[in-house]
Amino acid sequence: MAQVIVYGIITGAFYGLTSIGLSLVFGVMRHLNIAHGSLLMIGGFVAYWAFHLFSIDPFLSIPIVIVILFALGVALYKGLFCHLDSLPEGQKINNSMLVGFGLTWIIDNLAILFWTSDVRAVTPAYTGSVIQVMDGLRIPVVGIAIVGLALLVIFSLHLILTKTFFGKAVRATAQDRDAGNLMGINVERTYLTFFALSASLAGIAGVVAAVNYSVHPTVGFEWLLKAIIILVLAGVGKIGPVFAAGIALGMAEGVSVYFTGPAYREVVGLVLFLLVLVYRAK
Amino acid sequence: MEHSRKTLVLSAFVVLLLLIFPVSVGTEHTINLVISLFIIVILAQAWNVLAGFAGQVSLGNAAFFGIGALAFHFLAWSWGFPLYLALPLSAVSAVMLASLIGIPAFRLKGAYFAIGTLALAEVLRITVGNIFPRTVYIPTDQINAYSLFSRYYLALFLVVLTQVCAFFMVRSKAGLAMRALRDDDEAAETSGVNLFRYKYMALVYSSFFSGLAGGLFSYYQISILPTSLFGPQWTFEPLVAASVGGAGTLLGPVIGSVFLILVMELFALTLGKTYLIIFGAIFVFVVLFFPAGLIEFFRWLRRGKRVESVK
Repeated sequence: MAQVIVYGIITGAFYGLTSIGLSLVFGVMRHLNIAHGSLLMIGGFVAYWAFHLFSIDPFLSIPIVIVILFALGVALYKGLFCHLDSLPEGQKINNSMLVGFGLTWIIDNLAILFWTSDVRAVTPAYTGSVIQVMDGLRIPVVGIAIVGLALLVIFSLHLILTKTFFGKAVRATAQDRDAGNLMGINVERTYLTFFALSASLAGIAGVVAAVNYSVHPTVGFEWLLKAIIILVLAGVGKIGPVFAAGIALGMAEGVSVYFTGPAYREVVGLVLFLLVLVYRAK
Repeated sequence: MEHSRKTLVLSAFVVLLLLIFPVSVGTEHTINLVISLFIIVILAQAWNVLAGFAGQVSLGNAAFFGIGALAFHFLAWSWGFPLYLALPLSAVSAVMLASLIGIPAFRLKGAYFAIGTLALAEVLRITVGNIFPRTVYIPTDQINAYSLFSRYYLALFLVVLTQVCAFFMVRSKAGLAMRALRDDDEAAETSGVNLFRYKYMALVYSSFFSGLAGGLFSYYQISILPTSLFGPQWTFEPLVAASVGGAGTLLGPVIGSVFLILVMELFALTLGKTYLIIFGAIFVFVVLFFPAGLIEFFRWLRRGKRVESVK
């Protein structure tokens, strides 16, 4: 059981990383970017090629991934998503989902074209090595790195959002876009940076996915599913609850696999999701 | 009045052409192509009533399609139900599945319904893939008796049924209520529209026809891979067809589907799978800059001509 909890925490930290960018952008900008999973997939592939072509350790390739995904985020926001900002909220959410859905289709099929649909994984020397804590409890080395990375992301995001001018601008525009504009905040630039930041976060999650699991062109949709379930579990726009919900989902899946076998792992997430919907509706 | 009579005559003419098509000029390839077109039209119109008319964007209609197809396979081929029972039952099974996500999601505002349906379709795709990993076939005696004509005429019947039902649905009081809640839900509610009831009605309608399309697909195909029935392309292609043609209109999904199938056929020979990228790009472009779709473009052309003739 202790083993299930340890794996639940590691999986949950990864799920939190997957969801955090999606959740923040939805909370602040009211864009529900369905293509978040595809950005994650690109991050995973960057780590894969960095490892295979230049033998760069996946965790060290994270800065490269951040830069590439940040640039991609800038391009996507400038080219596509910024055109939705003038719409009323309901329509903005709907259309951002549709654009994201189309974008997923484009990115995934481009990835198949360039990289084929083979399943690939990043396997540095420490893959699979574990630390035996006590009898029946092993902690994988990669898992420790993932949890550490998640903590690092949580604290840096917290610092950025509370201590910098950019963070204050983000929080102000999230509360009231027009008032923020009147107070001299360049809302468009703030949104642009924030969207690109969220793309970088997707990329970080992608690196973890490539190390801990594997990547292939259509993997993004599967991870997007987790991100969405966590979005509903945690509510939008907060950092702490996202990781808490991630760990809750990871543990629930771990426990369910223990009892029902892996075929029904995804069903557990859906049932949780439905329960939260029913509970919220009341 | 005269305008609608012209439309009726034109529609009857198109249906007549489609009736004689397989026995006259149709080859096996083109008949198959038209059957795929019919399936996309049914799915696109089903999505359109829910999203285009009632404003509830679903990103998981593949779930309804897939469950309809899977239900049909077991009802008709494994348990020997006759076609006229198995087909409606597969549509009903899709409605039951839709209620599971729709009833809680519609009580909340915002994107919960869209992400709920997306999650539903993905979970089913993965889970069905785990439970039924292999391709399933129709029984051998059915393979021997397989006739493309019976598939074609059933599909044609269902397409006509879809269009006629959509026509009456949109003109009814319920259709009016749906458009009202799409355009301004608060104003509609203040005017006495029961939001939950009409959202749910649109969902029942949409999932029923998506399930029907699934049943038809299952009847048409000799072999199916269960997990691929729930694949996102079964959501994406109808959604693109309806949006590119013109969401929230009756003819938009038909025009969009024809366009989709033509582009697919045109590019499949030269570009292979790359046509999917082109669809995605066209779709994103339409959503961002041309939300009324192709149908608005045709209207604009016609208006232009009329103005010229007046001159």
